[in-house]
Amino acid sequence: MTNFNFLDDDQLVDALLVEVAGLLSRLIEDGEEGAIDLLGLPLSPFCVAELERRLGRGEISVELDAIGLSKIRETGFPGVWWTQHVDESGRVIARLIETTAIPKILRADVDDMKRGRKLLLASIDVAVKTSRSAA
Amino acid sequence: MTLLDFARGPAFQASVLILIAGSAWRVVAMVLLRRKPQFAAPRHGLPARVGGGAATILSRFAPRRAFWPRIAVSVVLSATFHIGLAIIIFGGAPHILLIRQLTGLTWPSLPKGVIVIVSGVTLASMIALLIRRLNHPVLRLLSTADDYLSWLLVFLPVLTGILLSGETIGGYATLLALHILSVELMMIWLPFGKLMHAGLVFAGRGLMGMNFSRKGAAT
Amino acid sequence: MQNADDNENDDNTLGAMLAARGIGRRSLLKFAIAMASSLALPPGVAPLMAANLAKAKRRSVIWLSFQECTGCTETLLRSSSPTIEQLIFDFISLDYQETLMAAAGAAAEKTLRDAIAANKGEYLLAIDGSIPTKDSGVYSLTGGRSNLDMLKEIAADAKAILAIGTCAAYGGIPKAFPNPTGAVGVEDLVSNKPIINIPGCPPVPEVLSGVLAYFISFGKLPDLDERKRPLAYFGATIHDQCYRRAFYDQGKFAHSFDDEGARQGWCLFELGCKGPTTHNACASLKWNNGTSFPIQSGHGCIGCSEPDFWDAGSFYTSLAGGSATGWRNAGVAAAVGIAAGAAAALAARNKSRPDPEDKP
Repeated sequence: MTNFNFLDDDQLVDALLVEVAGLLSRLIEDGEEGAIDLLGLPLSPFCVAELERRLGRGEISVELDAIGLSKIRETGFPGVWWTQHVDESGRVIARLIETTAIPKILRADVDDMKRGRKLLLASIDVAVKTSRSAA
Repeated sequence: MTLLDFARGPAFQASVLILIAGSAWRVVAMVLLRRKPQFAAPRHGLPARVGGGAATILSRFAPRRAFWPRIAVSVVLSATFHIGLAIIIFGGAPHILLIRQLTGLTWPSLPKGVIVIVSGVTLASMIALLIRRLNHPVLRLLSTADDYLSWLLVFLPVLTGILLSGETIGGYATLLALHILSVELMMIWLPFGKLMHAGLVFAGRGLMGMNFSRKGAAT
Repeated sequence: MQNADDNENDDNTLGAMLAARGIGRRSLLKFAIAMASSLALPPGVAPLMAANLAKAKRRSVIWLSFQECTGCTETLLRSSSPTIEQLIFDFISLDYQETLMAAAGAAAEKTLRDAIAANKGEYLLAIDGSIPTKDSGVYSLTGGRSNLDMLKEIAADAKAILAIGTCAAYGGIPKAFPNPTGAVGVEDLVSNKPIINIPGCPPVPEVLSGVLAYFISFGKLPDLDERKRPLAYFGATIHDQCYRRAFYDQGKFAHSFDDEGARQGWCLFELGCKGPTTHNACASLKWNNGTSFPIQSGHGCIGCSEPDFWDAGSFYTSLAGGSATGWRNAGVAAAVGIAAGAAAALAARNKSRPDPEDKP
């Protein structure tokens, strides 16, 4: 297990911000999306809070209610997103810094859309039939 | 059974038993040897002779000034080694824990960092002593297999101990097993070689002192 | 209006099953992100995992319970609130599982036979409990057949074997000295199939769901260590991830279970904690949805995911201590030494020629 004890919290935050800047450059120049899994690093709660503070808040903040309430928001740096996924019991199951134009999870999925269309059409049918029988 | 289970289980029990049996054999065999009878009347009574024995045990810790130039190096190196080893064994938390398990006695331990530094110094002094033994013409002539084996069997526990506490190379379980096994090897050899001086030195000095006191010589 | 919906043909995929329960692709992607993090995979693989999970077809899992206490089944399969992991597990399993299935007796045996025949070469075989081998394995029978024979026969057509819990992985409690039934783990009996060990007494539930998610997503077992445990979960020791590690490094130890150190939550090394030599994920994942684990509750780790942990000496003897020989043995050793010493001294005395002027 790597011993991170020789880096203090401030140095760790700076190192991560350097990595974020690198990923952002790759997004801008090559269109390549990136992510840093913060749960996979031995960060103290102070470190995580400081990192969040340094990245700041941007214009978009999203609540995702799917098997638990997750929070996804753009940081003060466009293209850099702070994502925290939480399960039904409130436990944090993932915490990421993503470099992307828009996180994939915010986009509606084609299969979901197809299923939704089916249900929508079925509900229109029912409504039409109901109003016809009422008429 | 893993190596660690073996080291903490059957190997530990066997080495303790061999140490007890071997030490009993060595001491009893010596005590029951024939001694040259002394025909002169004793100068002092028994209590004074016992005091003389104790005095000699202590006085021999300090080297005589007349010999100092010749023996300075070996005294300094040897004292460093012995005191360092005592600090490690009686000041290190895991060792105090073992003693507590065996006897119930316990006392506060020294900080881990101190033990690590002392271990480094002890290792260095041991290497220096070995180099001296190999280079000094008289020592080289006098040295036997027992001398080198005893050195190795004390060096390995100190070395494996310092590696274990640093938790740097190898897995914890493997290093712990090797450390315990190296101590057990030392325990097995102890009663049969020069390492027995750990106990005998006090008996030897004490008896010599009692004899001197009987004769009225300085102790 | 007719939908030219190609999903119509894929109703038996995991994606379709979840969607039917109102769980859409976003939830699946969120699950995949969490799984990737838990498995120590780069976050970029999550979309691929989610896509593979959505497409996954039913995979038959046959769960055989041998010489066990049912603790592994209870811990893994009966969670109080069904989570997406629960649903995935429901999906990919369980063609045969004695504790949970409704069928019993002859009907259950038929279920087993049908499942094996229908999925020959493709089913996952999950095993909890050890396998007794003494006296032809008569000490654990199901429907009159020894678990030993069952394992040999049913493992032959399995795609891979999951040995769940320390008993199935390494023999566990039944194997503890004197092992009257000759209990062994799966890997001691099966050598020609991929085996993955998920030890623990019981194992951490998220480990099983992580392994299954990986298997469904990528079609193979994750990287294993030399004891066939998934590296992602068993790569580190409890000691390396323990929240009390700072106390160990500072030398602050609890000396007894009710002293000041114990109340302050100091390191439990002196009270027998086997954290330094135990590999598992419980120091980070914990049990009951991250509620707690032994050290957090004030008891040292007992090393339950390692082989032969029951025979490794007392749970309360520290790693610095060993098993004592007892005073009687010590007395015998001393007596032997004294006798040998006396004999040697006697021989020496007789050999040395006494000076005629010496008094005897």
